[in-house]
Amino acid sequence: MAKNIDNTNHMIKVEKVNKYFGDLHVLKDVDFKVNEGEVVCVIGPSGSGKSTLLRCLNHLERITSGKVYIDNEMVDYRVDDKDAMHIDHKKVTEMCSELGMMFQRFNLFPHKTALGNVTLAPITVKKIDKEAAEEQGKKLLDSVGLGDKYDEYPSRLSGGQQQRVAIARAMAMDPKILLFDEPTSALDPELVGEVLEVMKKLALSGMTMMVVTHEMGFAKEVADRVVFMDDGRVVEEGKPSEIFNNPKSQRLKEFLSLTS
Amino acid sequence: MNLLSIILLNETHGKLYEWLDSFVNMTKIAVFAKGTITTLELTLLSMALGSILGLIISLGRISRSKILKSITWVYVWIFRGTPLLLQIIIVYLAIPLMYLDITGEALRIPGFVAAIIALTLNTAAYLAEIFRAGIQSIDKGQMEASKALGMSYSQAMFKVIIPQSISRVIPPYSNEFIMILKDTSLVSVIGITELYREASRLSSGSGDWRLLFIAAGVYLFLTTISTYFFAKVEKRTTRYL
Repeated sequence: MAKNIDNTNHMIKVEKVNKYFGDLHVLKDVDFKVNEGEVVCVIGPSGSGKSTLLRCLNHLERITSGKVYIDNEMVDYRVDDKDAMHIDHKKVTEMCSELGMMFQRFNLFPHKTALGNVTLAPITVKKIDKEAAEEQGKKLLDSVGLGDKYDEYPSRLSGGQQQRVAIARAMAMDPKILLFDEPTSALDPELVGEVLEVMKKLALSGMTMMVVTHEMGFAKEVADRVVFMDDGRVVEEGKPSEIFNNPKSQRLKEFLSLTS
Repeated sequence: MNLLSIILLNETHGKLYEWLDSFVNMTKIAVFAKGTITTLELTLLSMALGSILGLIISLGRISRSKILKSITWVYVWIFRGTPLLLQIIIVYLAIPLMYLDITGEALRIPGFVAAIIALTLNTAAYLAEIFRAGIQSIDKGQMEASKALGMSYSQAMFKVIIPQSISRVIPPYSNEFIMILKDTSLVSVIGITELYREASRLSSGSGDWRLLFIAAGVYLFLTTISTYFFAKVEKRTTRYL
């Protein structure tokens, strides 16, 4: 077999992935790639399968069939809902810590302070000692503009602040890729900007990012590539200028006219 | 006026004193104290052991393994579905007899040990259901976030899910604690001299009905203190909310 001579490094590669929830076919033969250092925004109507695609990458959902590679390593390969490779759960867990994930509802740990949220995984998973973890955690909270909130519990923070803690928490595991699952959808409009600002900073620092979003402004400005999904399929992808200014498919045209 | 009130006070004082005096004279306080201590020992020991066992069973109940799930389901089914009184007698009498029949050797389980075993096994079944409900009430996103951070299932359980469920589990746990505190009186059937047995023995021996009311008062005192204690703990564990 011919070797893959493509020398760009695919941080995420998804091949012919299908996903069913019962009878519901939510991902249909999806092929998808994210290169190293690339920022890819996934847009599309709700129910189009974009969040599911994201969640399949770190085994929060298992695919029904297809292959998933993270950083050139196969992490999932299934045929007819059965494992077609040996799934080493330890390896999957390790791989998960290379993928930082941000959720729509933040999912901070409510019983931990902001700093406690950021240091928990480094201490329990990486076995870093508490002092070093706290030092690193404080730096990360400083970098997302929460230098004065170390000891606050999530319930005392605004949604925007919580999502920024979540970003710091993910960064504490030194991820190679950041996944964002509609990170600003649950936020009050005036709080969206502060989160997008932090995400933009990350993008500029060369982080590989996959962002499922409804923020078209962000996609236009920050994305290297925009992927439009509809009804479980990747319908169209390209540079933001092409997608937003020169949409080819009828469905993308309709979608854009509805959202702008 | 003043004189009258002094006389009245003396009068009631005198009566109370007399009543207490008769109680002390019968050297019953020591006996009551001993019974109360035994009741407390039974309660605290079986609740401590039952909590550990109950947590293990609850984790089995929510595990993905079908075998673990069914074993723990059967356990809960049996121990919640049969009378505690019978469970106590089975551990104390039936098990040693069964052992004798099968092996031909005698097995003696001391009464106190049998009591602890039965109470522990029984409360573990109830506590397992309490813990399971507590764990399952935690938002699914917490497990997802833990996994996304690279934590294993058990790390997520013990560092994220269980700590959050504690505050929700305390009210029903407090309830179970009180139930067991009162149900320790059942182990009197295998001859453990705890509070109820001491009181009823002394009372039927002397015909002094007051002793039974005093025993009720002691139980009430203990359950009230426990309720108060758990309410305090609950408040402490919810301070981050």
